[in-house]
Amino acid sequence: MDRGQLSKWFKHPGIMAQKYSLWAVYFCTGCGIIEVPPSITSRWDAERFGVMPAPSPRHANLFMITGYVATKTLKAIIRTYELMPEPKYTVAFGSCPINGGMYWDSYNTIKHIDKYIPIDGWIAGCMPRPEAIFIGVTKLWMMIDKGAATGYKRYRENYEYYRKNQEKLFGKLPWPPLFPIEDKNEKLTV
Amino acid sequence: MSEELAKEIIDNFSNTGVSYTSKYRMYIQTPKEELFRLLEYLKDNGFKYLVMITCVDWINENEFELVYQVGNFNTPLRIIIQVRIPRNNPTYESIIPIFKNATDYEREIHELFGIVFDGNPKLTPLFLEDWQKFHPFKKDFDSREYVKVTFDSIPTLEEYK
Amino acid sequence: MITRELELYYGPQHLGMVGNFSITLSVEGDTIVEAKANPGYLHRGFEKLMEYRSWTQNLTLPCRINVVEPDSMEMIYMMGVESLARIEVPERAQYIRTIVLELSRLASHLFGAWAYANMLGFDTVAQWAMAYRDFVLDLFEELTGGRVYHIYMCPGGVRRDLPDGFEEKVMNFIKTLAGHVPDFDAALFENKLFYKRAKGIGQISRQEAIELGATGQVLRATGMAYDIRKVEPYAAYDKVKFEVPTREDGDAYSRLWVIHDEMIQSAHIIMQCIENLPKGKVYERTPNPFKWKIPKGETYVRIESSRGELGAYVVSNGGKNPYRIFFRTPSFTHGIPILEKLLKGANIADVGNIMISLYVVPPEIDR
Repeated sequence: MDRGQLSKWFKHPGIMAQKYSLWAVYFCTGCGIIEVPPSITSRWDAERFGVMPAPSPRHANLFMITGYVATKTLKAIIRTYELMPEPKYTVAFGSCPINGGMYWDSYNTIKHIDKYIPIDGWIAGCMPRPEAIFIGVTKLWMMIDKGAATGYKRYRENYEYYRKNQEKLFGKLPWPPLFPIEDKNEKLTV
Repeated sequence: MSEELAKEIIDNFSNTGVSYTSKYRMYIQTPKEELFRLLEYLKDNGFKYLVMITCVDWINENEFELVYQVGNFNTPLRIIIQVRIPRNNPTYESIIPIFKNATDYEREIHELFGIVFDGNPKLTPLFLEDWQKFHPFKKDFDSREYVKVTFDSIPTLEEYK
Repeated sequence: MITRELELYYGPQHLGMVGNFSITLSVEGDTIVEAKANPGYLHRGFEKLMEYRSWTQNLTLPCRINVVEPDSMEMIYMMGVESLARIEVPERAQYIRTIVLELSRLASHLFGAWAYANMLGFDTVAQWAMAYRDFVLDLFEELTGGRVYHIYMCPGGVRRDLPDGFEEKVMNFIKTLAGHVPDFDAALFENKLFYKRAKGIGQISRQEAIELGATGQVLRATGMAYDIRKVEPYAAYDKVKFEVPTREDGDAYSRLWVIHDEMIQSAHIIMQCIENLPKGKVYERTPNPFKWKIPKGETYVRIESSRGELGAYVVSNGGKNPYRIFFRTPSFTHGIPILEKLLKGANIADVGNIMISLYVVPPEIDR
């Protein structure tokens, strides 16, 4: 066992326990889902990294966006993301979430998913191999140690920006805002 | 067997042409009033299986072309029937009374091309939800323009601040 | 007794759903009264995208329509282009295409076995099936360079010849898999629990299957031996000997047994192809890809994919881009009308059972 880690366990037990047991929401969003069943079965075992599929979004803290996102799926993704408890991390697979990928001129896919929900890390590949997924998980550990995986804090602070973008795409959303948005036109009268 | 069938079709239906592109593919061009009777005739002669319905947009000739295909389990022959309808306010009759699985093919064509099928009870949206713009597979819908207007106009976080 | 109808969303984020698909159920107690399939979560508008790209640039697009078995989509696009442009494929390339298609069919059936066994609770068999599928993907990686998306076929043949020692590796893999078939049988297929869970579930008669547009295992499980590889042979299927397995009842139990028998027949086909592989070139030169124009016309080609009849209707008006392509996918009829019919009157616990035994892949419905 790595003795350098023992001191970290005493100083920040919360962070160590959290990063070695990232439970992923079971949501097959796109093409990249074809390399996730090999990762969670016996040949490339993901549970030795602590990653396992969680049955409900209320129990999960990792969201894998596997591949491209269609507009109808984005609604389901936003609702699932807002259901997850904090702290939560998102990872995007492939080149399609970054800038549209090979479907850059399609009328039904989202081109930059960072405008709608915050992303912490991207993994390259089409589809990323199971080994690439594991390297991405270890890089996420290093980011969590340094305190750089702050996607959920960005969402909380800039919620008005994200909600405005979502409404520009979909029109009026049927669910209420997650964090209260202050109305700047309201004046307090005494 | 297919030569006799071709002869009978040309005799019994007006303005109908039959051609072959290979040994097992027969193409029939028929006017839109004759399609219902022709499909019933083919179903009585053993072609009981509807394979697909699709649509091609010939914008230069101002017409939509509906393509039907029927198959038979006793022979490899496939019969492809092409019907032309005008492009402005397109409507056509539904063939659900003859083939039951035509419902969802017609639903897809209605959503993507805008053709209204009379008699189809299920013309609800299939793939696109809350889509109040025009039908995407027509040739005058430019997908790249639409992407520039809708998606690229939304700002990133740095541009917003 | 007063009962009330509730609306239940078997939605996209669900532990029993493989793929991005949702069903809206109207439930009364534990029985389903009405089911509505809700596709469209994966719609990219492929047929519109292909009209903007030239014939050669389109090689990378069709394989992403069916993520579980991409080689059949590549094959159908190549056959459509070759049929319109009148290109002859050399014989060695036909045999290699047959080997690739049958290996892909094995991988797809093993993926289906993982999904079904996982849903029923037979986790051991699920892990075995997924591990064997990984060995097939290793073979593909050596042949083409990629595990999932190969882009190996091109109009006029295949991209490159088989590497040295490839034939021995394929034969070793098949012999290893054949040695484990008794274990698979004892754990899943001849298990009493599987019989009790799957017998009589999702039953469809032959008449209804033909009326609603079923092909593939759904039709062969009702007793009708219709296989496009025998009726209208393509690639090298008229030169190998194999049988078409059928069962009688038309329920989930029969469909899984048809899949089991088809895997054994695939192994026979691969062994015969490797023993009789002819020599020659593997690629027929096509004209300059930047200026290639295909003559005017239309065509319909079809193959037997692992799910049913897969076809493509290709229209060209003499230009550099296709004018219209339509893919006739088997999951469209299995996933919408047949699923809605079979779910009426079933229990909520059987929704996953029926859906996975019908072998529906959601990206094929949406394209």
